[in-house]
Amino acid sequence: MAEMKNKENLKGMFATWVILTVVGVAIGIWGPARLMPRSMSDNMHLTILTMVVFTVAAAPVAAGVYAVTLHALRHWVHKGDNVPAPAAEQTRENATLTASWLIASTVLTVFLLIWGLGALAVDNGSAGRNPLVVDVTGQQWLWTFSYPGSNVQSPTLVLPEGRTVDFHITALDVTHGFWIANMGVQVDANVGTTTQIHTTPTALGQFDIRCTQFCGLNHAFMVTTGDVVTKAQFNSWLASQSQKA
Amino acid sequence: MERSKAFGTALASILLGGGALALAGYALASATPHQGALMCQATTTGNCTLTISSFPDSLAGEHGKSGGAHPDWVSYSNDNLVAPANTTVTMTINQYDSGGALNNKAFFSRVWGTNGGTATISTPNAAGTSYTTATVSKVDGTNVGHTFTLRGIPGNGTPIFVSVPLPADPATNSVTVGDATYSSPVKVTFSFKTGTPGVYEWNCEFPCGGSREGQFGYAMSAYGYMSGTLTVK
Repeated sequence: MAEMKNKENLKGMFATWVILTVVGVAIGIWGPARLMPRSMSDNMHLTILTMVVFTVAAAPVAAGVYAVTLHALRHWVHKGDNVPAPAAEQTRENATLTASWLIASTVLTVFLLIWGLGALAVDNGSAGRNPLVVDVTGQQWLWTFSYPGSNVQSPTLVLPEGRTVDFHITALDVTHGFWIANMGVQVDANVGTTTQIHTTPTALGQFDIRCTQFCGLNHAFMVTTGDVVTKAQFNSWLASQSQKA
Repeated sequence: MERSKAFGTALASILLGGGALALAGYALASATPHQGALMCQATTTGNCTLTISSFPDSLAGEHGKSGGAHPDWVSYSNDNLVAPANTTVTMTINQYDSGGALNNKAFFSRVWGTNGGTATISTPNAAGTSYTTATVSKVDGTNVGHTFTLRGIPGNGTPIFVSVPLPADPATNSVTVGDATYSSPVKVTFSFKTGTPGVYEWNCEFPCGGSREGQFGYAMSAYGYMSGTLTVK
């Protein structure tokens, strides 16, 4: 009788696991693109895709933990002051279960590792043959942008759509953090060092640029705007700024 | 009975704790680290003027005769500027401090965002007896006292960026400002247009604060000295 009840309980736990997994997968597919900043670059596409894949892959594991927890809270709670009776049946040294768990965990972990390294390699790969180089300078409490090859400097960032941009980032005083959330670009700006990171804008529109390293009194206001425009608009803007300089 | 008492205690604790947090949040939100407001004085319709000063210490301006907690810290005379929306503000800054080289000379030696992209600078001679006036779009970046750099915060009012370098004061004479003694100031005048209502931040971009934070410590890292707000309403 007790054995039958235990099996029914385990079936319930399995059903809970399946339901929670489905919910987790649904959240993983639906959530990142809607909860993260709007994607405006290839880096951000990859970041959102990575979030989807990692969330979906983690969903069965998280669901398993929650299902076991709920099962334990529901069926393994002892009420009263007396010492509980020993469980009627306990599962011990189940080789199949252990091997399944180990293999599944290993496969999952190796998959996530390979995906992560691949995504990192894409981010750190070559900027291509004809990137637009933009020198980014962080200082308390302002970002400034220079376009080598022209005499243009600007407190805001203007980028052409579809052309890879190679940011050369440095700082003049303390460490700052250069972050364009919409482009999946985030890297520290260090004094005396130039750090490179590249991205290709894929959508027109405005975005914010923030500092992610606490850098003093007005750190919270070290925010500026950027704009992705068409190539023609960019060339026109560059020419007009060059005349002003 | 025991249960309802425990429940009542828990509820009361949550309500009291929540109330205390709300009160603390309200007090923090209401508090302002800034000084009394300096209103832009209307001249003609759509125009107003603001005059402030930059000092080598805190003995003049809003910190009072004794200079407040840090009399030796450099300071602007006011850190709470207020101007009407969609108005041309003509601003004059009397610059009493000496100077040096900017961190980012190429950028901050330029005049940014003013009407015409220029500022008018009146520089005294050493004796402070006469002034030379010039309208410029750029100054010598190796001899700047401070900058007045105003920017908008995305999503808070109309985007704006105004940055004007304030050359070092070459005068060596003595003039009295309040109870403090300085030399005749460099007078820098420029105008810009305010946009929609919002709070805009400004600060100095010359590393004049001292301490190890890239010379942006002390006066540069405390409200009421080398930074402030422009409230447009």
